[in-house]
Amino acid sequence: MSATVTAGRARHVNVWSVIARTFLYSFLVCLGVVVIYPLIWMALSGVKDNAQIFGDPFALPVHWSWNNYVQAWNQGVRGYVTVSVLVTVASAICTVLISAWTAFGLTRTRMPAKPLVIAIVLGGLMLSPTVAIIPLVKMLQALGLYNTYWALIILYTAFRVPFTTFLIRAYMLDLPGDIDEAATMDGASEGQIFWRITLPLCRPIIISCVILHVLFAWNEYLFAMVFTSGSDVQTLPVGLTSIMATHGTNYAVVFAAMTISALPIVIVFFAAQRYFIRGLSEGIGK
Amino acid sequence: MTDLTLRQIRKSYGSVDILHGIDLDIRSGEFIVFVGPSGCGKSTLLRSIAGLEEITSGDLCIDGEIVNDVPPSKRGIAMVFQSYALYPHMTVYENMAFGMRIAKVGKAEIDQRVKQAAEILQLTKYLDRLPKAMSGGQRQRVAIGRAIVRNPKVFLFDEPLSNLDAALRVATRIEIAKLKESMPNTTMIYVTHDQVEAMTLADRIVVLKDGYVEQVGTPMDLYKKPGNLFVAQFIGSPAMNIVPARIETAGATTAISHIGGNKVNVPLPTPASAKGAAVSFGVRPEDLFIVTGSDFLFEGKVDYVEQLGEVQLVYVDIGRADLPLVTKLPGNVEVKRGATVRLNTNPDDLHIFDADGCSVLQP
Repeated sequence: MSATVTAGRARHVNVWSVIARTFLYSFLVCLGVVVIYPLIWMALSGVKDNAQIFGDPFALPVHWSWNNYVQAWNQGVRGYVTVSVLVTVASAICTVLISAWTAFGLTRTRMPAKPLVIAIVLGGLMLSPTVAIIPLVKMLQALGLYNTYWALIILYTAFRVPFTTFLIRAYMLDLPGDIDEAATMDGASEGQIFWRITLPLCRPIIISCVILHVLFAWNEYLFAMVFTSGSDVQTLPVGLTSIMATHGTNYAVVFAAMTISALPIVIVFFAAQRYFIRGLSEGIGK
Repeated sequence: MTDLTLRQIRKSYGSVDILHGIDLDIRSGEFIVFVGPSGCGKSTLLRSIAGLEEITSGDLCIDGEIVNDVPPSKRGIAMVFQSYALYPHMTVYENMAFGMRIAKVGKAEIDQRVKQAAEILQLTKYLDRLPKAMSGGQRQRVAIGRAIVRNPKVFLFDEPLSNLDAALRVATRIEIAKLKESMPNTTMIYVTHDQVEAMTLADRIVVLKDGYVEQVGTPMDLYKKPGNLFVAQFIGSPAMNIVPARIETAGATTAISHIGGNKVNVPLPTPASAKGAAVSFGVRPEDLFIVTGSDFLFEGKVDYVEQLGEVQLVYVDIGRADLPLVTKLPGNVEVKRGATVRLNTNPDDLHIFDADGCSVLQP
């Protein structure tokens, strides 16, 4: 009798668990579709022609025309990608190194007036880029950096240092202090402790910060639009609008260009996904 | 051969004084243990010697040279940390070689010294492992190896066994003792709050309390002739029994009365003026034994018995609830709870402390 009741209850629990799981999976699939479908639609539109895009936007391509991608690449995307890669890589390196060194000073040295410095650095998080545009234009014009790669590299670095420092500092606070002391006993200078001990130990958060920076710099539009005007120094977001203006009637080429521009970010994210999640959960998750 | 001299070492954090003028001479090749309760300043003193803490005032001399402002790595000192402090991203080999690589020692010499230390510490087959793939005891050995390869003049150990389980602690303690034997000229300073480690390892023990040195001496000195009440109760387990008493007769021998027992004659002279003075009477649990005749020190009821197998701890109520007398008896002696027992000791094993807690009479 008792065995029958127990078996019945187990079956009851199983049914609810299956229903709950079904709902959960359905929800996740819907969420996935919402995120992934537009990307697929964009990529597929890149192999259609204009008539098919407007005539039957949700259908699969009738003729797979990879020529749009070649055309987009040759009509300026190659140059925009090069500039974007250059600006993104340079500003990512600068941001991460400056932030890591700042965080090291703020967490692992006997620096005077540390709370004040922390307040100043993290106060940078509150500075809106839009508000700073006009003085920055004047300043960079005066420095002769307007319409150069350097304008974007400097601005991207300056505006990302506070947030990146905030992340790395949170991570470094949890690293045991006696490792530094052991290195001091071993004769390491502060610079050697930073390069050889602290920085390698911060690898997860550094990778997270690099990805976050790449996402920011690759997609940034405001500064890129204001501080660059020549097509030889424009990054992808601004360049894509130029393609739209120039080849406005050929949306297939525009979609192809957009797909090309999105591809590196997707690759970077998937390649470093493990570190990204770990770094963030250990950095700001506490 | 390295002598260490501490002259009036003081350490303060703001207005809080941690060390109050420590004077200490450590001879070359000695194994010194700093022992004391939590917060007594023993780790701060060790870190000050290492150079990891700045000394507020006083002089720290190594081989007669003041090294207050000398960076830690230039003092010829190596330190083993409580938490091992191994570099997690480096292999055992790299951990041990790190200091030498910083010092730009040649590759061949690094290799030879690391392998030699690894052999001494039985770490040869683990040289390619990361610390996370090793047990606590192995990590501690790597930390010791990292110190050995630097050929230090002075070895500092900061509670190196406190993260190990009981069995491993005993094994590692023996390894450290053997290591000291194999390096007779190296001075070692060891911090612990565990008196067993202090008693078994030390040539001399420095007992610290609230930033003051209470007593310095060999383990048996501290055990047999504690300089004050604190040392008497800190060294030895269970702690020494302390009973309030009064000097009844002063002179060539001293008669002392105490609560819960008879008057006792201590074979030591006291000045006549000491008569009537309030003192504390100390006797170690292992020095008490049960007697049946009228010649006894204490009489009381057995309050509780802790049987440990080889020995048993018998708690005897001698009339004051706050003063259960503890005696350590052989495990095979039958003692019943509630029974009245009489306890005696040899006069040589008595300790008497004055009202300030200082040892005044030591047979």
